[in-house]
Amino acid sequence: MTPPLLDITGDVCPMTFVKVKMGLQGIPPQETLTVRLKEEALKNVISSLKTEGHRVTNVSREGGIFLLEVTKGG
Amino acid sequence: MSEADYKELKKGGMMRQAEAGLFAVRLHVVGGRLATPQLRAIREAADRFGRGEIHLTTRQGVEIPHVPQDALAAVKEFLAPSGVGVGVCGPTVRTVTACQGCRVCPSGVIESPELAKAVDRELYGKPVPHKFKVGISGCVNNCMKAEENDAGIKGWIEPRWEAPACTFCGVCQAVCPTKAIATSGDGRALIIDPMPCIGCGDCITSCPTGSMREKIRGYRVFAGGKFGRRPSLGKRILEVLRTKEEAMAAILAVLDFFREHGKPRERFGDTLQGTGFPALEAFVKERMGPP
Repeated sequence: MTPPLLDITGDVCPMTFVKVKMGLQGIPPQETLTVRLKEEALKNVISSLKTEGHRVTNVSREGGIFLLEVTKGG
Repeated sequence: MSEADYKELKKGGMMRQAEAGLFAVRLHVVGGRLATPQLRAIREAADRFGRGEIHLTTRQGVEIPHVPQDALAAVKEFLAPSGVGVGVCGPTVRTVTACQGCRVCPSGVIESPELAKAVDRELYGKPVPHKFKVGISGCVNNCMKAEENDAGIKGWIEPRWEAPACTFCGVCQAVCPTKAIATSGDGRALIIDPMPCIGCGDCITSCPTGSMREKIRGYRVFAGGKFGRRPSLGKRILEVLRTKEEAMAAILAVLDFFREHGKPRERFGDTLQGTGFPALEAFVKERMGPP
């Protein structure tokens, strides 16, 4: 099954992380959520994810857009 | 009273006001921090000896304006038991400014108030060719404007790259505000250029695999900054220093260099125009010995 995809390329901080958090609420621990985001959101989203115990397990890019595979912690 | 007497008073923090016979009394404050008993004493002193007003200076200082000349000794005496000293002006080492530092501020990298206290203890009010200001920012967000000071410090995170877990995902390079991280020619290593690196640590907080790590969490020294009529920004000198003691030693050495090369009424930044920064760096390094 392809992991659910969350597109936050149209959002700005702090909505970027709020949406990722809500996206993660919708999946069980150890499952993966793919997040599509712009370069500007990388730092805050990744550092917040790390602080909350989630892991970024893969990173890829489509031009200026980043795709993060986030594995839910807990 | 002679001009010489006014000068002496000014050095001791009693500054003649435009209105004849009145003085502004500058108080000794370190890093913008006062205890409440001190504040109560200052309030009481302003009511008794001034006009019930307090002036907050641009560099975290406190002054009591409108004190008549004949009350200057009394105001000093009144404040002393509460641990409030009178400040300094003239060609001296001035108020040491500092942010709240890492114990209070989530962005903080160093304990700026502690370093400010150490610098103050060692140097406050000491004579120098011209006024000399020290400002300490706990991190590179630089709330205390290190580069506006004759000697400035910033809390600084120097990153180091570790190969094993790195997937070359490009996040660190994307988040780096100065694009200081390059991929090696063969694509198998990341190279951090220390020159453009601003010590923010964003590469470390963003790295998904923990491949970017803290090499040094320390102190970055800036020298020669000033504002006034002809502002100029201080420049970064030395490597990142690891300890408060090293930072202190660097500031002491910078000040000695100024004493050796500065002319009277010449700001340190102007002195450095003549000597150049390499001379300062060589002097400070020599003075500090091997790291």
